[in-house]
Amino acid sequence: MSEIGNDGVISYELKEFKLFEPLFKWARKKSLWIVAFCTGCGGIEIPPLATARYDFERFGIMPNPSPRMGDLFLITGYVTPKTLKRIIITYEMMQDPKYILAHGSCPINGGVYWDSYNVVKQLDRYIPVDVAIAGCMPRPEAVMDGIMEMMRRIEDGTADGWKRYRENYEYYRRNQDELFGEGWREKEARRWLAWI
Amino acid sequence: MNEILIILFTPLLAGVLAWAFDFRGVREVIGLIGAAVPLAYLVKLYPAVIEKPVDYALTVGGFTLQFQLGTMSWYFAAVASLVGLAMAFGLVATSRSGYDWLFALMSFTGVLGVFLSQDFIGFFLLWELMTFASFMMVLKRNRHESLKYFVLSVIGAYAMLLAIGILYARTGALDFETIRQALIIDVSLGTIGKGETILLFTLFLTAFGVKAGAVPLHVWAPGAYSETDQSYTAFFSGALSKAGVYGILLIYMLMGYKLYAELGTFHGHLTFAYVIAWIGAITVVVASFLAVLQEDIRKLFAYSSVGQVGYILLAFGVGSPLGFAGGLFHVLSHAIFKGLFWLVTAAIILQTGRTRFRDMGGLAEKMPFTFAMGLIAVLSLAGIPPMAGFASKWLIYEAAIQAHMPLVAGAIFLGSGLAFAYVVRFLYGVWFGQRPSELEDVKEAPLPLLLAMTILAIPNLVFGVAPGVVTGYINRILMGDVVGGDYYRLVTQTGTYNALLVSTALVIGLAIAGLVYLYGAKARRVPVTDTYQSGNPVTEEFNLSIRRNFYRPLAEALEFWLRYSWDRFYERLAKLSEDFADALRQAFYNGNVQSYSWYLAIVLLILALWGVL
Amino acid sequence: MIDWKLILEVIGILLYATFMGFIFMGIERKAMARIQRRVGPPLYQPIIDTLKLLGKKESISHGFIYDFGPVFALGASIAALLFIPIANFQLFSSNADLIVVAYLLEVPMLGIMLGAMSSGNPFSAVGVQRGLLTMVAMQLPYGLALIALIQHWGTFKLSEIVALQGAQGWSVTVPALLIAMIVFDIVFQAMLGLEPFDIITAPAEISMGPMVEYGGKHAAILFTQHAVQIFAETAFFAVLFLGGASNLLELLIKQIAVLFIAIFVASIYPRFTIDQAAKFFWKWPTILGIIAVLLTV
Repeated sequence: MSEIGNDGVISYELKEFKLFEPLFKWARKKSLWIVAFCTGCGGIEIPPLATARYDFERFGIMPNPSPRMGDLFLITGYVTPKTLKRIIITYEMMQDPKYILAHGSCPINGGVYWDSYNVVKQLDRYIPVDVAIAGCMPRPEAVMDGIMEMMRRIEDGTADGWKRYRENYEYYRRNQDELFGEGWREKEARRWLAWI
Repeated sequence: MNEILIILFTPLLAGVLAWAFDFRGVREVIGLIGAAVPLAYLVKLYPAVIEKPVDYALTVGGFTLQFQLGTMSWYFAAVASLVGLAMAFGLVATSRSGYDWLFALMSFTGVLGVFLSQDFIGFFLLWELMTFASFMMVLKRNRHESLKYFVLSVIGAYAMLLAIGILYARTGALDFETIRQALIIDVSLGTIGKGETILLFTLFLTAFGVKAGAVPLHVWAPGAYSETDQSYTAFFSGALSKAGVYGILLIYMLMGYKLYAELGTFHGHLTFAYVIAWIGAITVVVASFLAVLQEDIRKLFAYSSVGQVGYILLAFGVGSPLGFAGGLFHVLSHAIFKGLFWLVTAAIILQTGRTRFRDMGGLAEKMPFTFAMGLIAVLSLAGIPPMAGFASKWLIYEAAIQAHMPLVAGAIFLGSGLAFAYVVRFLYGVWFGQRPSELEDVKEAPLPLLLAMTILAIPNLVFGVAPGVVTGYINRILMGDVVGGDYYRLVTQTGTYNALLVSTALVIGLAIAGLVYLYGAKARRVPVTDTYQSGNPVTEEFNLSIRRNFYRPLAEALEFWLRYSWDRFYERLAKLSEDFADALRQAFYNGNVQSYSWYLAIVLLILALWGVL
Repeated sequence: MIDWKLILEVIGILLYATFMGFIFMGIERKAMARIQRRVGPPLYQPIIDTLKLLGKKESISHGFIYDFGPVFALGASIAALLFIPIANFQLFSSNADLIVVAYLLEVPMLGIMLGAMSSGNPFSAVGVQRGLLTMVAMQLPYGLALIALIQHWGTFKLSEIVALQGAQGWSVTVPALLIAMIVFDIVFQAMLGLEPFDIITAPAEISMGPMVEYGGKHAAILFTQHAVQIFAETAFFAVLFLGGASNLLELLIKQIAVLFIAIFVASIYPRFTIDQAAKFFWKWPTILGIIAVLLTV
């Protein structure tokens, strides 16, 4: 547990606002800010969502470049180990409650890369996925449907990936370390030192 | 024993003693006493001074030096003594030698003497004492910069001497009162012509402009301010530059009417005052732009100091009573916030041994008290209400706009924006962001330095919330109800500023915001490396701060103007004269006896032709 | 001795200003969406966003100043608001003048910058740099516009400026002040942080600039601050150039008019780089400003 940035992730107190919780729940549903982290081929499916034809802003969805303010993490396509490291770091940077929407078949089971040596087959083992959309690639309508599903889940409280991540942190952590090796964060950081 | 004599010469005496008994502990105590005595006596004399001026005459070798503690001298002397006391506390921590104490306290005496003198003999002598002492302080650290300071000071001194000589020749007097009367009478007599008046004005302006650091005579300031003990710089920039400002007031007092009569008005402004206002405005803009682009903490504050004194010149140049009120107030607030800045700088340099921004960062956690003091100084300099810096700046704004000097007032706006920019550069470079690993074991500054900062920080807050205390006294100086209102409220003809109400509103706002803050989830502390880097992991080895060229885009936007520099111009001039002298020497002093005899013959011939022989 | 009426007014105006500020932000997004032929979010969307941010169950801190920055910014915005005459509510405005309000409106910037700097993020640092340079750049034309206004009306007091405009017609009807208003409007664009001067946040470029490390309640405070600020600034504009207002509805109409100009400009222009912005500000707006001040001397 001595690695960078991990100590605090699970060791903070949860403060529940009982009185205003319904209000906040509604607000969370109506205001999902996307951390646009475009991996794989799904990234290109996001801009149509923002344009006049689909316009996700009418649901209060807004792309937001900073993960600290973000709520909704879109994994748009296949995930390689290298990407996964960034995904985990960005995910841990987001603040609870946070939700993950996985696009397409690849995060579910590897999709067309089912036998690739370098694609993460099952994303759910490393970070908790709340809603997954099947398809290769899902059309914007399907993505919209996925977002709608996410909203429904937020409302009835079943979108609890952030809770699962905290409760089962040991499990996720073990899987991550299995894939990347112990102390991968520092190692990864050091790797880039030579380039800057 | 007259109090004025004690006020004047205790610092000098203490300095000499501290130099003589150069033991750790002894010199500090002597020096502190020496620096505290003037302030104590000034406070004691306050009731007497507001009744009527306290006079004292001192006869030295046939000359009679007259000193007077009037309302204005008291004000300037009190500001200088306050900064002087803080400087002494600072020196306890930063200085290890009697040399520093001797010359620091010597210049203290010099400054007080300049403010208290009532004739040009004492004024000039103590002015030179002050210049010499500060020159010695710089000489110890850096020869080149001290010579630059010396040369410009000498130019200023000669200018002043010439002016005094002309005045003496024309009026036959050296004391201020007689000269003033004589010059007023001279308006109708007309013995001093227009050209001569302009010459006098230019000479005095040069003399005082050098000390105040007005553009284009400011070039000594950045070097001299930074190449000395930083605790001393608190006094150097906080009080010594005020001597120049005081000189400008002296021009008004002695020659104001004469200058008005000779030069007339320009679009409704006094012509000579308009010149001063524009010099001030140009100083503000140029120095502030340069301050923004500095990479060294000392240089940044040196330029900023030059710029802030420009505000005072500008305010005096407005020429209305309100302008004087604003300028005088800014004398106080500049002394306290800039003194505070220099002490903070002294603490940083003492504790880290670094001066450049690129070597610093993240010190706020290591030196929290110093940081708090620095923040007060920043808020005051940037003119955040309710701070002393805002009250004075507000008066200057009012004065400049009321006097219908729109472009000059525009320069203040630009200058205040730039002030904002460079103080934030200071905050960012020194206090925030990632801390270099070598600075991990930096400690809080020593106690005397913290005391010194506190001495200067309290007035920043007190005179910020209650600016009426200062303006009330300034009304006495200007002998009229220039700025109305009470302790907390300033009222001019056209505007009003209630410092207490602003503070209250700010407190209300902070309370509301604080409540919202407290309502939210408890914040968990994260290290600086837990930061968004497009998802990349970072460690302490990564550089997360902009260490160099923070305001690069500004430098790019100003590319054209930055090609010209007064500093380089003077250096070139110096080089040119050096080359010229060299050429002269090689051509004439060639060591050939024959050519020397030829020179003699030619000179004799010329003299003969002229009819001397 | 306690002035209950004033206290009630202050509380009422603060609530109203915060609410309307959020609605203004909503209008901004909605209008932008309509211009792009989208449906756009509901007008109250910023309120939802702020609630959501406030309801985050976790928040991080990079140290005391990181927490203090947003609080200071919101506090200063509220303080600035209290000194502007809002329609027929004078609040504290009889006690402060134009320079004080102009300064108070800039203080929040320092709060945001303080917080952003202490986060230690390079993106924030770039944001801070841009923010301050924008401020330096806009300060000169801004000052000139204000000076022209003061010189024309001969007073610094906002309440008197409003009264004089009531008697002699709005500032805009005076030719010199019309020029000043054009200058002020250009600066206003930068004050609101809209294109072409949205250099500070520059979402797609430096990921929200100063705000990059802020989330949860800190961001909620910053949003509230922006709401109060946008209300205060539009009200300031209306008071200075559009004759103030005699009731809240009139003020609202003027504020929205001002806001729409800003939105229309914002939706057609791309972003300046910072040195372009500085050069721009020091060219046309400054020249116009100088003309304005010389006309009103």
